[in-house]
Amino acid sequence: MPSDQVIFTATAIVLAFLGLASMAYSRNLIKTVMSFQVIVFGANLALFSSGIGSPQPYISQTFVLLSIFVGASVEAVALALIVTIHKKYGTLNPWEIRRLKH
Amino acid sequence: MSSEVALLLSAALIASVIGALFSRSTSVSLIMLFYSSLILGIIFATYGGIVSGLVHIITFAGAVSVMLLTVTLMTGESKLMIGSFRLALLLSVVSVPVVGAAAYELLQGISTSQSSVPGVSSLFQFIWEFRSWDLLILVMIFAASMTVIVNLFSRKI
Repeated sequence: MPSDQVIFTATAIVLAFLGLASMAYSRNLIKTVMSFQVIVFGANLALFSSGIGSPQPYISQTFVLLSIFVGASVEAVALALIVTIHKKYGTLNPWEIRRLKH
Repeated sequence: MSSEVALLLSAALIASVIGALFSRSTSVSLIMLFYSSLILGIIFATYGGIVSGLVHIITFAGAVSVMLLTVTLMTGESKLMIGSFRLALLLSVVSVPVVGAAAYELLQGISTSQSSVPGVSSLFQFIWEFRSWDLLILVMIFAASMTVIVNLFSRKI
């Protein structure tokens, strides 16, 4: 049976790739923000798992807290931009927005 | 902590994330993302990062989920029409006694609870007077019941 650290690191990698795949696949800006949130989850889990079994786990947990706050702030700004874009173009499809821009 | 618990939590996290990212309904995506935030917070809290877990739940399952829900409703991407009325009624009937039982258990345990972090004192002492697992389970059950209530009232009868 693999250790907890290996399991969580593998889960973090899977989360990051799932988020990247969904970000490339989705045609909705809200889904893109959700994909970004999943990538942040993967980063948080990777940071946290690096401290499991370590004599000083508080260093990794401090970085997890920093990552949580930065991720939440970025998402708040992205959601504000989404509202602005929806008011201006009336759609959240990036391809449609690009077409309307020209 | 055994590796089976880690595997179970990881599987639940990946399943909820897949449900969130690849669901066609934005409502279902929001709810699954909410649950994945809760599961990740539980992972942090289970493996020694109680503060990180609670901050994660408060930030992502609380603030960011509400922001996402607000933007989704403002842009008209979702009508929040999920599930059926009878199922929501049944779930709410089940969840209310469970919340009551969990709250009763928590209140019973306050007087006998031990401080989980002996070194932390004074300023944040009140946080450690509660057992973290009880608090997390209560947050989970409350979130589940709130989802049911949102489902119940979003349905046009």
